[in-house]
Amino acid sequence: MLLTFYILGTVSVLSALGVLVCRSPVYSAMSLVCSFFCLGGIYILMNVEFVAVIQILVYAGAILVLFLFVIMLLNIVPTGESVRFNLPVLIAFGIAVGLFAQISGLFLGDIQFGPKDVYTAEAISEEGSIGLIGRLLYGEFVLPFEAISILLLVAVIGAVIIGKRRLN
Amino acid sequence: MIAIEYLPILILIGLGVVFATIFTLAGILIGPKRRGQNKEMPFESGLPSDGLVGQRYDVKFYMTALIFLIFDVEIVFLYPWAVKFREMGWFGFAEVLIFMVLLLFGLAYAWKKGALEWE
Amino acid sequence: MIPTTHVLILSAALFSIGVLGVMLRRNVIVIFMSIELMLNAVNLSFVGFAREMDSMTGVIFIFFIIVVAAAEAVVGLSIILSIYRNRQTLNVDEYNLLKW
Repeated sequence: MLLTFYILGTVSVLSALGVLVCRSPVYSAMSLVCSFFCLGGIYILMNVEFVAVIQILVYAGAILVLFLFVIMLLNIVPTGESVRFNLPVLIAFGIAVGLFAQISGLFLGDIQFGPKDVYTAEAISEEGSIGLIGRLLYGEFVLPFEAISILLLVAVIGAVIIGKRRLN
Repeated sequence: MIAIEYLPILILIGLGVVFATIFTLAGILIGPKRRGQNKEMPFESGLPSDGLVGQRYDVKFYMTALIFLIFDVEIVFLYPWAVKFREMGWFGFAEVLIFMVLLLFGLAYAWKKGALEWE
Repeated sequence: MIPTTHVLILSAALFSIGVLGVMLRRNVIVIFMSIELMLNAVNLSFVGFAREMDSMTGVIFIFFIIVVAAAEAVVGLSIILSIYRNRQTLNVDEYNLLKW
């Protein structure tokens, strides 16, 4: 299981790098789909199946499809956007590597976790992760849940106003 | 561990990757190669090709995909409710009703503004 | 049992790649994809922390992050579309006017 995690993690990092390297945005999008699939596999390994399902359903299935639609809509010619190693690019690499070093250094030091909650792996598998999520989402988190519908409403209205050329 | 139950899917994905790689590599390695300028030209019914191959898609595809994405996310939130439907009773029903009515306003707006029309 | 530290380091790596993508690429759609990648990295760290602390809150938060990502993708891509209609380019360096 640990080996599967390392393989999936490596593939997801490599395909995330592929997003940056590919010149054509279509290849970048497919690379991102691959990365999202690997993350879905990691979620299954970590016993949160429902998150894995929505990762593949919403991210790989819907959001990336929307990206691909826009790319095809604009029919972008793969431009010769080549990365030259001039000073700003080197600074960007430095910032990214420094950020990674800082965050992972933080995680590699001794982390003090807060008090543990009651939802251990046994408790989750007893009730089922979807049922547990449902109980919390519709119980404790009911106000954020209703706020989400307003966010989605705003997103629909905003996207229709901005995206549609001629409004009725 | 729940992850064991998903082992067949992993094996299936692995087999898919392996077979796709094998057949692609076999085509490249074993197949005969005869290259030439005329042969590598894209085939357009005998005419010489001009310009790019792809065509631009209409914005109506984007509008449909947009509405789909929003309601896809809505459906994701209905799964946990469906699992806990009996347990939550009328309170859960009222919550989901408010959620869906608010989103229906969005659908009604998109409909009224003609985002769903296939011109 | 996957060590939580390794999950968090993977998430840090994905986040840094996303940051690098935002800084390096000039195509606005690829920049947008890098932002989605960063959101995913945060999701992964949420799952890692939730499992370490035997909590469910992190998993619930992922739902909210996914909704925000979906709303962001929908509105953001519409904005990209309308900018492309006006400027005929996807290079962010050429988006230099605040008002037309």
